[in-house]
Amino acid sequence: MINRFLLGGLTVCAIALPAAAQDAYLVGVTAALTGPPASTYAPAVDALRIYIDRVNAAGGVNGKQIKLMIEDDGAQPSKAAANTKKLITQDNVVLMVNASLSSTYAPVIAESKSANVPLLFASGVCPQSVYPPADPLQFCTTGYASQFDSRATLDFVKATAKGPIKMGFSAMAIPLSRGEMDYAMELSKKMDIDPVGQEIIPPSTADYTPFATKLKDAGPNWVYSWAPWVTQVRTLEALRKLGWQDDYIAWGHLEAEAELARLKDGKFYVVNSNALFQEKQPIHQEIEAAASKASSKFPAQTMTEGWIGGMAIEAALKGAGWPADPAKLRAAMENLKIDTKGLRGGPIEWTKNNHFRTRLYYRIYKWDGDKIARVQDWKTYEVK
Amino acid sequence: MQLAVNILVLGSIYALIACGYVLIYRVSRVLNLAHGELMMLGAYLVLATASLFNGHPRMALAAAVLLSLLTGGLVYIFLMRKMTGEMVLAAILTTVALGILVRGIVILIWSAQQQYPAQALGVSNPSLVLFGGARISLWSAVLVATTFVVYGALFVFLRFGRWGMRMRAAGQNPLLAAQRGINLHGVYALAWSLSTLTGALAGILMALDSGLTGSMPVIGLKAFPAALVGGLDSFAGALIGALIVAGAEVLLIYYVDPLLSDVVPFLVLIAILIVRPWGLFGTREELDRV
Amino acid sequence: MFKPPPRASGYIHTNYGEDLALLRTRTERMSLAIFLIIVASFPFLASPFALDLACQVFLASIGALSLMLLTGFAGQISLGHAGLIAAGAFTTGILAREIAAPFWITLPASALTGILLGFIFGLPSLRLRGLYLAVSTLALHFVVIYLGGEYETKRGFSTGIVIDPPSLVGFKLGGRGWYFILFMAAVANLLICVNLLRSRSGRAWGAIHVRETVAEALGINIARYKLLAFVISSSMTSVAGCLFAYYRGFVSVEAFDLFLSIQYVAMIIIGGMGSLLGALLGAMFVTVFPYLIEALLRLLPNAQKLAGDIFAVNYAAFGVVMILFLACEPLGLVGIWRRLQNYFLLWPFRYKPLAGARK
Repeated sequence: MINRFLLGGLTVCAIALPAAAQDAYLVGVTAALTGPPASTYAPAVDALRIYIDRVNAAGGVNGKQIKLMIEDDGAQPSKAAANTKKLITQDNVVLMVNASLSSTYAPVIAESKSANVPLLFASGVCPQSVYPPADPLQFCTTGYASQFDSRATLDFVKATAKGPIKMGFSAMAIPLSRGEMDYAMELSKKMDIDPVGQEIIPPSTADYTPFATKLKDAGPNWVYSWAPWVTQVRTLEALRKLGWQDDYIAWGHLEAEAELARLKDGKFYVVNSNALFQEKQPIHQEIEAAASKASSKFPAQTMTEGWIGGMAIEAALKGAGWPADPAKLRAAMENLKIDTKGLRGGPIEWTKNNHFRTRLYYRIYKWDGDKIARVQDWKTYEVK
Repeated sequence: MQLAVNILVLGSIYALIACGYVLIYRVSRVLNLAHGELMMLGAYLVLATASLFNGHPRMALAAAVLLSLLTGGLVYIFLMRKMTGEMVLAAILTTVALGILVRGIVILIWSAQQQYPAQALGVSNPSLVLFGGARISLWSAVLVATTFVVYGALFVFLRFGRWGMRMRAAGQNPLLAAQRGINLHGVYALAWSLSTLTGALAGILMALDSGLTGSMPVIGLKAFPAALVGGLDSFAGALIGALIVAGAEVLLIYYVDPLLSDVVPFLVLIAILIVRPWGLFGTREELDRV
Repeated sequence: MFKPPPRASGYIHTNYGEDLALLRTRTERMSLAIFLIIVASFPFLASPFALDLACQVFLASIGALSLMLLTGFAGQISLGHAGLIAAGAFTTGILAREIAAPFWITLPASALTGILLGFIFGLPSLRLRGLYLAVSTLALHFVVIYLGGEYETKRGFSTGIVIDPPSLVGFKLGGRGWYFILFMAAVANLLICVNLLRSRSGRAWGAIHVRETVAEALGINIARYKLLAFVISSSMTSVAGCLFAYYRGFVSVEAFDLFLSIQYVAMIIIGGMGSLLGALLGAMFVTVFPYLIEALLRLLPNAQKLAGDIFAVNYAAFGVVMILFLACEPLGLVGIWRRLQNYFLLWPFRYKPLAGARK
């Protein structure tokens, strides 16, 4: 009996709340703000919030404010599904944003499909369904993408290394990372790189040394890792502690800039699709100023992904006009060019069957003596 | 040789965490599922004290350790005291709730980002070369040493100390102990303080070695089989259990499949428990087997 | 122990049918009818979100009831509940994906998986008790998650296995359809539990729970009934997993973490140990409560400004309320319910008048 009261009370609370905000664009976000992987997603969502607040302070889009409705899913698929259902059916959002672990994708996609609301992945890895031919409802701005990243990484290694390459791989024991490392191993064989071993490390590991010992004993002269930052960097540190002194290349997540300066390791390369803050472009100074004004808990360097997500939302809403509905928004997003103002190597372009981007740009950095140095400028890959 | 060092380090980690479980279980028969979280809290406290005692890493570490000692006592006085004498499962669930609370507070204060206490303290983590070409990082070596010191100190304290004797008495028969004039609440509070202290030591040293995120509590759970293999109320058991589990894990990673490392400690545990249901060195409590 | 008040007076049973009936008085039948009317009209009044929440409550009820059967009545602690739900969900997912098995195959297959796992992981209970048993059931969880993860990776379903919604003679299920199906599943489960508990096996479990030695002396085959408890509870849990997979339309290992097991234990303790009503109340409370806190916190002024912190506060608040509950209401929700019931039963008296006082 009590459940009726609880549910009733909840419904009353929930209905009473959003009544005031009808004169604005409603955008729903489900994000991993708590839970173990929060360190990847919480800064991005904070950046997204700061960006949208700035847009609103400057008069909004098409003269209307954007209302961001953020829900925490703690990286749990069931919670993400419930959040999405609530945001779509009750708050009537025109756009859903997913900034969470890949395991939340399936339920969120299912909910967005059943209501025909476009879904944007910002700061979580791009699913294959946004690559051409793209699913009509799904879009992605995130900088890292499976398969393309490994291709760019291995191309760089092949071009840089002298002599035969014996490559070790390090993955986190989550399906996404393991799948990517398997792909990279297959690819490396075709590229005349000798894959000597792969380590799969559970997400929470007390000591990485046992894994690193095995990897080191396989005798690689390069190690490649495409995994959440913890796994990438702790594997490197464990290898270094064991006295392994060769080259290590990994994906440059949002922590990369601070971490390169902390590690000061001359043989640690990071592959990036976002320009680092030390390049001091105007946009970077803008983000820094905005972050300190909003007194965010997160350093400005970690905000690029969220910022680009905000840019995409702003551009999409601008294209959709007022009043927007999900169908109009989707039509606008299918033909959109987002100016990243130097945060990426070029604009993000979405077309009817490509909701990822038409061109990918990769830069590679490493620590060089006393500063971070760029070892390869934007290299372009066509997405077909 | 490196494998032996790896086993020693991982075993020390598990042993240091496991002794926290054992301390509390031994005196009050409560399993503290918030141990991982309290361990993490200790490591985060270093971040706070590091900014407070800027430039004095020793002071900062000592302050963090003392604060955790205090935290443990407070947890008992304000929370677990109420649960004394309740159903065991309810007491365990209370510790789970405490864990959730601690995690929330940690995210609230320090945000979800990866942190580096070593950087905050301004200390480095060089790699030491041992005999036979094996290597160990400085903080891992400190951790191994700490584990030995903690176990030695606990042994002396419980065997010869006045409060140690009281703790043993309370663990053996709480009712009788209370009737003989032992302050049970005092003993329990002391057990919680010491347990949090050892947990915090493990948390701090691990964070100094490889950094700190909100996922540390899971490691606390992984030390669980270690405590159980040896028997939940025996320190010697915890030490040997930790070595067995760590040995199985390291060797499996190296020779078989790294993915098994999550599963196998628990299978080892079941295998041992089926032969000796109270663990290798545990006391044979009310196991009225039929 | 709390003794429940008599259900009714003046009803004398003259045949076995009456004695076995679940509903004996007119008031009971009336309140059931009213309850059913409320349940039936709810989906037509509530928002889709509330409907989703109700479905989650029904799913959780199935899991909580089966755990209550095992822990609350047979006295066997289990921390592997999430693993069993995962086992059912994965059985469904794999069969639906690999051989496109329809609903009426996957459901019994899940139950079968549950029976098998329940038997294997019930075996340690013959030697282990209490916390040691609880931790050995943890192994079940890790084994299932390991196998599920291997399957997902090997087949390349890195973001989880997507399952097509089940088709019932070409009829597609909407939110309301699911609501009624899950409600009926929960009711069926409740009836199974009620009937099991008042039969021979229920009494045997009760005896084992209180003291094994005495139960053995009474001629109860301990091993058999312990295993039976594990098997029945596990198969019901796996069925809940199967329903979960179809309801959410996907399966992935991340959906079944250890926290889920702990949530189920929380349900039966917060609800009140040793009571089926407690399992239902607990399932409701633990499922709805986080959303309730969120809604309440949003009512605070400046809620949007705090956006970054509000979820951490939310998370911590869940811990605080759980602690308050455990410390202040050890009998659980069912304790509150019975106090309420008693209040009305004894009205206008505060306490039961002494039996001798009126003579």
